[in-house]
Amino acid sequence: MASNPDVVIVGSGFAGSFIANELINLSRANKRNITVVILEAGPDVQPNFNAYVKSFYEAGVKVPESPYPPAVKDSKDKDFINPKDVAAGRPSSRTVGGSKKPGDTKPPTWQDTNQAYLDQSTSKRPFKSTYERLAGGTSHWMGLTPRLVPKDFRMKSEYVDNQPQSKNKELARDLQNFVDWPISYEDIRPFYQDAEAELGVSANVDDQRFPGIDNTFPDNYEYPMPRIPPSLFDKRVSEALEQLDAKDTQFLGMKHAPTSLAVRSLPAARNSRPYRKRRACAGNTSCIPICPIQAKYDPTITLNKATENGAILRHHTVASEIMVENGQVNGIKFLTYSQENGPPTGGGVIKASVYVIAANGIETPRLLLMSKNNETPKGVANSSDMVGRNLMDHPQYLSWGLLPEPVFPYRGPLVTSAIGELCDGLFRSKRAAFRVSLGNEGWTAVVGGTGGDPNVTTLDFVNGINVSGVNKTNFTGLGGDNQALFGSQLTQTLGHLISRQFRIAFPIEQNPDPNNRVTLSSAVDALGLPRPNINYDISEYTKQGFAAAYQLKKLLFGKLGATEFTSVPDGDPAAFKIDGIPETFTYGGAGHVMGTYRMGKDPKASVVDDMQCSHDHKNLYLVGSGTFPTVGTANPTLTLCALALRTAKDIVEKLPSLKS
Amino acid sequence: MDNNRKHKAEDPEPLAPVGKMSRRTMVAGTVVTVAVSAILPLSSSAFAEVFDQDMMAFLVLSAALTGVDIPTLAPEFSRGSGDILSADPGIDPINVKNAYLDWIKINDARSSFPKLLQIAKDNRLSQNDIIAKVNASDVDTKSLARSIVLLWYLGSWYDPDVLKTAAASPGSVKGPLPQKVVSGKTYSQGLVWQIAGAHPMGYSNLQFGYWSRDPHDPNIVDIFSPAKFPL
Repeated sequence: MASNPDVVIVGSGFAGSFIANELINLSRANKRNITVVILEAGPDVQPNFNAYVKSFYEAGVKVPESPYPPAVKDSKDKDFINPKDVAAGRPSSRTVGGSKKPGDTKPPTWQDTNQAYLDQSTSKRPFKSTYERLAGGTSHWMGLTPRLVPKDFRMKSEYVDNQPQSKNKELARDLQNFVDWPISYEDIRPFYQDAEAELGVSANVDDQRFPGIDNTFPDNYEYPMPRIPPSLFDKRVSEALEQLDAKDTQFLGMKHAPTSLAVRSLPAARNSRPYRKRRACAGNTSCIPICPIQAKYDPTITLNKATENGAILRHHTVASEIMVENGQVNGIKFLTYSQENGPPTGGGVIKASVYVIAANGIETPRLLLMSKNNETPKGVANSSDMVGRNLMDHPQYLSWGLLPEPVFPYRGPLVTSAIGELCDGLFRSKRAAFRVSLGNEGWTAVVGGTGGDPNVTTLDFVNGINVSGVNKTNFTGLGGDNQALFGSQLTQTLGHLISRQFRIAFPIEQNPDPNNRVTLSSAVDALGLPRPNINYDISEYTKQGFAAAYQLKKLLFGKLGATEFTSVPDGDPAAFKIDGIPETFTYGGAGHVMGTYRMGKDPKASVVDDMQCSHDHKNLYLVGSGTFPTVGTANPTLTLCALALRTAKDIVEKLPSLKS
Repeated sequence: MDNNRKHKAEDPEPLAPVGKMSRRTMVAGTVVTVAVSAILPLSSSAFAEVFDQDMMAFLVLSAALTGVDIPTLAPEFSRGSGDILSADPGIDPINVKNAYLDWIKINDARSSFPKLLQIAKDNRLSQNDIIAKVNASDVDTKSLARSIVLLWYLGSWYDPDVLKTAAASPGSVKGPLPQKVVSGKTYSQGLVWQIAGAHPMGYSNLQFGYWSRDPHDPNIVDIFSPAKFPL
């Protein structure tokens, strides 16, 4: 490089790509020239996107990471590659479970650092969400882009202050951990609109007007594209919930017990028309992990615009330390590598006027904590000791079953509609909120572990076993349990069973908890850098959310006439019970990694300000969903993109004064 | 590929060199000659017929076991007027049948495949008989039959030994069994999704909005019907 760039961004995912692109857009609009370099830990954008699609087709287990490098298992797909032999590793959906049986000398998979990238050896429960580390970041996302609602930004003032203290000590403590955001919905609203345009969101604004929740859109608001049409399952649920008894929905604690629940199309970054040279959705039903035609937005789209307009991407480049002098960041050390198993092939230091860390909710705190020196003994940007703390996900309560009549799953996007209007209400002073997500993908994500069906059900009836739970005579009407079939009996049985599959998921809010945190492990990766250590648990507040979701599930299944097949595997490390409820609960990860360097007004209780600038270092910005002080019930991507655009604007304004 | 080695397992007679009539082809007799003399695509030369008997037996076996008819398994299949084993399996652009046949022969560790092919040949007039004979056969042969069904349904290979162990104690199986996707192509041609009225995840030839409509519309091939058997 001839001279130092103006801005260095670590990470080319949603936040990093949005900021790079927006800095260049804004600088051109202002007739300036802002130079941007992006450091990306993984490989570059592929010249042929289909290479990833091919990997997906050939994957034995179709988990979210399956199209993308680095490899998780050896070439025979037998053993997990030891993460100490991976240069830029990341968590895998295949290492979030496993139970310890009597006589086991090895820890269960999720706690075995020889198999799992994240060190969860001291964690109460597994953190199940994963992410990617390559150009474009976590492109395996679902594509859903709902907004947060206004009260999500002021949980403390709305639902904790001026409320009587809960008699349940754990609940009282959970509620005391709530904080308000330093911004309101109104502050972020124009940026939501701009983010929706860049992502290409398809929705009808009327579907977003939830009864009893503040009206958050101007009357004539138009999304970039019209909504994605509902699936047959969406319509089936909608019919089932048209008429409800108020006494049956009292338990929800809404202001008025609902006498119907609306199923509405979810906003999604999924083309419903040709948009910016990409096709409309053709219903490939593989949104997670990859859209073969890029009708679903992924950040390489914005990243390519940035690099075409002058941003420089340095791939296979892992930031290893942030250097600080006299309260300012004055460089980022990095290591380079060329093989997936390392070792480092080189390194260096990059200097700029402004530094942006956009490495996601686990990798960003990891980098900050790795950067310890005399000036920053607790890590960079960490005078508050909050870096890495308050790790939050949306734990998913999963339920699945068979409908009485075929509804033909495995068609269309994985999720098209949801019940959103339960996301806010007075009950939030007593329990976590949730939305209700309707799945079009049958049992593929739920039965027999991840990436299961239709393989699991097909195997059951070909081989005479019963992993799905369905191969019993009282469900099938066949001669006995564990039937093994051939011929037309097989086609008819499978056709009739698979076409009736459905799943309903409840993503549930978590409250902040400083003990849920990211720290550093003694286990390292192939570059010699310490891997993240995770401690994670589910609070009483969130468990009460599960309890309400359980009641709603029973109501839904009853109205649908469905037969339930929800089950919890023996020895599931995530399993828990709730007083007064016979069912054993477990959760899935939503892929939302939030809260670990939160924004706030008080530098003693937060890491960044409302522009996502570090309180401690004025030329350092930390972006992504790690800045969320609370998480509401909306998928975080749209909100983090909106905040990224707001931050880019701030960087452009502050850059002249920060230029070294 | 060594053609001699390919045939040794299932053909007790010496391989007939190209162009010469062996005892085997003579048994099929004039029916074969009639089929050859009709105007046929290049694949139905006399050379091809000797190999395609295996393919036809494999297709007859597969149709019986999977419940899916031969024209769906082999889209360029041409029935002809004679014995089913002498029909032309055809060469279609996707050709999963060849991928599967080759794969099975390579991975048939217990030499069960010849037994299955023989069952298909001996009982080619009745699918029910094929199924009954397979169910009555030894556990290795039956397990391979199941592996073959899973190839067609999922495009993935589940080793017969794995299936055998799991079937022996069904209660001990708690999660998905190990498998190998044969290729991206076979994954995209898996039949179970079509049987369920859908398509393999990640592979859709359909148009925007189709998921809002009932699947029984012209875009979807309906093979959810009893296999039609030629004789």
